[in-house]
Amino acid sequence: MTKTIVVTSGKGGVGKTTTSASIATGLAKRGFKTVVIDFDVGLRNLDLIMGCERRVVYDLVNLVNQEASLHQTLIKDKRIENLYILPASQTRDKDALTIEGVARVIHKLKKSDFDYIICDSPAGIEKGAKMALYFADEAIVTTNPEVSSVRDSDRILGILQSESKRSKMNEEPVKEHLLITRYNPARVKDGQMLSVDDIVDLLAIPLLGIIPESPSVLDCSNAGKPVILDEESEAGQAYSDAIDRLLGEAKPHRFMDAPKKGLLARLFG
Amino acid sequence: MSSTIGVELKGGMYTFMSLKLHTNDMSVIDAELADKVLQAPGFFKDTPVVIDLSVLEEQEADIDGKALLECIRRHKLVPIVASIGDRSSGLASSVAIPLIESGARRSALSREEPSQSADSARKEAPSNTQNPIPDVDLSVSREVEYVVKAPLLIDKPVRSGQQVYARDTDLIVMGQVGPGAEIIADNNIHIYGPLRGRALCGVSGNTSTRIFCQSLEAELVSVAGNYRMLETIPEELRGKPAQIWLDKDRLTIEPL
Repeated sequence: MTKTIVVTSGKGGVGKTTTSASIATGLAKRGFKTVVIDFDVGLRNLDLIMGCERRVVYDLVNLVNQEASLHQTLIKDKRIENLYILPASQTRDKDALTIEGVARVIHKLKKSDFDYIICDSPAGIEKGAKMALYFADEAIVTTNPEVSSVRDSDRILGILQSESKRSKMNEEPVKEHLLITRYNPARVKDGQMLSVDDIVDLLAIPLLGIIPESPSVLDCSNAGKPVILDEESEAGQAYSDAIDRLLGEAKPHRFMDAPKKGLLARLFG
Repeated sequence: MSSTIGVELKGGMYTFMSLKLHTNDMSVIDAELADKVLQAPGFFKDTPVVIDLSVLEEQEADIDGKALLECIRRHKLVPIVASIGDRSSGLASSVAIPLIESGARRSALSREEPSQSADSARKEAPSNTQNPIPDVDLSVSREVEYVVKAPLLIDKPVRSGQQVYARDTDLIVMGQVGPGAEIIADNNIHIYGPLRGRALCGVSGNTSTRIFCQSLEAELVSVAGNYRMLETIPEELRGKPAQIWLDKDRLTIEPL
């Protein structure tokens, strides 16, 4: 059974593409045949994060318009077996997508025995975002610990409940997961950021993971490598934990507390 | 004989918004209507209203019926009927829509138009002409059916940007109401969770409706059009279980 998971947030710049890349890579690493689709038509980014920008020939819009085959369009990842990237078109806009066209693409992927389809949503609540979430079985709502991000996430949760295919067909609702990104426990302690408890209380959906703010996220983006592959970094480990929870394993949350300062740091910090 | 029923004539209770006129100055009516409608244009659009002329009747004031109807329709409201109070100065005849008469006057009218059973009573006692209808007959002739509508029950959180309206009934939310969400009811609102968005009860004018919530963090609460923003809600009531109701036209918030 193929599972379709949308990574969405409403707000821009909170880490949807970073998350999509790491979740897809993590699932593939555990042996699941996985494809990650960039729905941000016109603002293509996923290929950069995945480090395959030089290998894009055809894109999602070509596939939707039946100008290329699935085999021609999918980019096979060079590092991880079972991982494929379906890039967005950079020269078109969101109007190039239609529900029927996207339905055809999802159907083809399901027939190609993919275990997971990860849909990287564009920001906003307009057509592109609605297309990305329409076919979702599950949703990873990416939220930064600040009020505007939380409110936008609340909005997108409402849209998931009313505009997804599952809601329109009166099927079991989309399963929602909360992923808090750019979490900085020290700034939470200072009251500059919302705490995990505040966010969970405001959004009232189960917590999938907390990704700490970490310089390795930017380093990996620049290097075209999903941060989950940086096993030394806290962010990479946190994404790995999130994969385990996504697959049903109960794991305690990490990286919630500010690191205790050593004597020297306390004296000179 | 056919077993299906084509039409049924039944008594029913319906809630309508009433437009009570306190002045006959058309420019004031126009300006205030514009102001009210502007607060919730989508909500008021095509809403049927009862024009309440009772105050003007008391004042024995005059009004240009045609201009009044035009003005109301211009604000996208639909005047359906005019209502007058106990006194009739003939004012209502200038407003060319059907008329209902409220309060004591209505029962007075009933006395003037005896029912069938009253007729038979009169036949039996033709000498008793001063008071032709005994009280007991009135209760027989006036049959009112009360229709109870099931409340609208929402069993998941109401999210930012979502709007829920319980028409002619209570609204029950089993969960939170997010910031930027709006819940509206013609009757009472019950929230089993925090209220962080806007809640408006009694929107068609029912002043005896209330809002109940488990944690008051609302952006706005309103009972029959009397509203308050969070800023004017006392600090000590915030984040606590509360009820909101109208105490003689004054919006009152009390802890539960």
